[in-house]
Amino acid sequence: MAETVSNKHSIRGKIKKKIFRYIQILLCSVLTVGCIFPLIWLINFSLLKANELFGPKFLVWPKNPHWENYRLALTDGKVPQYLVNSVIVAVVSVSLIVILSVMMSYGFKRMRWRLSNVFLNIVLLGFMIPIHATLLSNFITFADLKIQDSYFALIIPYVAFNLPQATFIMSGFMDTIPDAVEESALMDGCSIFRLLFTIVLPILKPAIMTVIITAFLNVWNEFIMAATYLTSDRYRTLPFSVYNFSGMYSSNYSAQFAVMALSAFPSLIAYVILNKHITKGIAAGAVKG
Amino acid sequence: MDRIRRNKYVIFALVFPGLIIYAFAVLYPIFKSFYYGMTDWKGIGEFNIIGLENYKKVIFEDKVFVTSLINAAVLAICTVLIQHPIAMFFAIIVDKLGGKLESFFRAVLFIPCVISIVVTSKMWVNVFNSSYGLLNKFLDAVHLGFLKHDWLGDQHVALYSVVFVIMWQGFGYAFLIYYSGIKGIPEELFEAGRIDGANSWQQFINITYPMLKPVILVNVSIAITSSLKQMEPIYLMTNGGPGTKTQFVANYLYTQAFTAQKYGYANAIAVVFVVICLITTVVVQKIFKPRDI
Repeated sequence: MAETVSNKHSIRGKIKKKIFRYIQILLCSVLTVGCIFPLIWLINFSLLKANELFGPKFLVWPKNPHWENYRLALTDGKVPQYLVNSVIVAVVSVSLIVILSVMMSYGFKRMRWRLSNVFLNIVLLGFMIPIHATLLSNFITFADLKIQDSYFALIIPYVAFNLPQATFIMSGFMDTIPDAVEESALMDGCSIFRLLFTIVLPILKPAIMTVIITAFLNVWNEFIMAATYLTSDRYRTLPFSVYNFSGMYSSNYSAQFAVMALSAFPSLIAYVILNKHITKGIAAGAVKG
Repeated sequence: MDRIRRNKYVIFALVFPGLIIYAFAVLYPIFKSFYYGMTDWKGIGEFNIIGLENYKKVIFEDKVFVTSLINAAVLAICTVLIQHPIAMFFAIIVDKLGGKLESFFRAVLFIPCVISIVVTSKMWVNVFNSSYGLLNKFLDAVHLGFLKHDWLGDQHVALYSVVFVIMWQGFGYAFLIYYSGIKGIPEELFEAGRIDGANSWQQFINITYPMLKPVILVNVSIAITSSLKQMEPIYLMTNGGPGTKTQFVANYLYTQAFTAQKYGYANAIAVVFVVICLITTVVVQKIFKPRDI
């Protein structure tokens, strides 16, 4: 008797649990559609002729895709040229951010000097300073130094503005690892710089991953500095192609969509491949930040 | 060995390269702006030093500046009261799904965050477009045509359209932070709760919420300070318009410098902006500092 009651109870419980699960999946699906449907719409219409956009349908099956849009994007949109610039700027900036933040954190956390904490805090102050407040004077400074049309005009501010967060993540991580290994290496007469690159760097790997990911996303997608400091097309980065092209082809919407889709493509691919690392890295960086 | 760690040359070599770049591109511009803020420079030609005139004007007289701050406050309030509860709710649900579904939703919800703000902003300009935009088409399709608007041109809704886009773009971040906060709560606590017969709501109130509190505080303070610093979506979608309805401080100072040619005045705004950001961050951190961890 008692057994059947509990049996019935558990069956009802199981059904209830199943229903709950379906509701949860349904809710998540609705949210997901809200998050990515505009992107799907964008890709869909990038394959159509501009005038098809004005029909009543949300999505149109592209029977014969209008690849002309993508041809325009690649030629007049200059996507390949901007892509090369983006890669150069991102690779150089992120490498510098990693190397400099490891060095600084080591200097602040492991070396013994009186003002180490003061200087660490000055660097961390950079968290609070809005990038946009520096646009005006850096614009003048870069023009005075005649670097306004070069990779330097992007790499210098990108490195500078990513150093506070990177240093914060690195030095926070350094606090959690004991320096016994370093001590014995120093005892054996190893120099600080050899120690840094052969022993410390491998230990810092998780923190370095986090820094690479957050800094890369920041640098890769940065727009306003690229739009302000550079005056000619030669060094501009990928986000700029969208901006530029929408001025040139202001009424050819589907060609604009093709440029947008193309310039979103590299970071999407990178995300699909590395998504586990990226979400983990971002979460680690944000919670600590 | 202690001698090595106190070696001044080594310390200098470690710290100097990073510090000099940081000082050159982050700190120095602010002092330089402070100087230009005391001039009536138009960006070209001669200029005069006019003292603190510009600063007084920014702080006491500039109505657009006040509008920009109010808009930032609206954004911060909407983010904290709308985006965050939704993000937390879905973080809890997704966490319970488990397996492939869980990784799928976690991965997909973050996609808008990896796409350049230029692409997403321009995309939303098209979604909001009143003649071919997705949103008005959708409203027509579900027989809510009377809700149709010129989403970015109508002065009553433009700010909320912009706020919506910023919340949409940042949703993945808010979600991810809550999600990893929930992942950090030991499973045994929920186990114990279930044994004691707690339902989902009771589990949330008695376990998830208190355990998540430090994460909530961090997340909310990030939301407030970043609301103040928004620029790109505004610059790309409305440039502050219609009128000054969607103006934000960063975009305002930018247009004052490069469109209105009031370079000196724009620099004064920039300096006041930095001070406001510093004060806000310090105050927010004081208020929202997790106390009991």
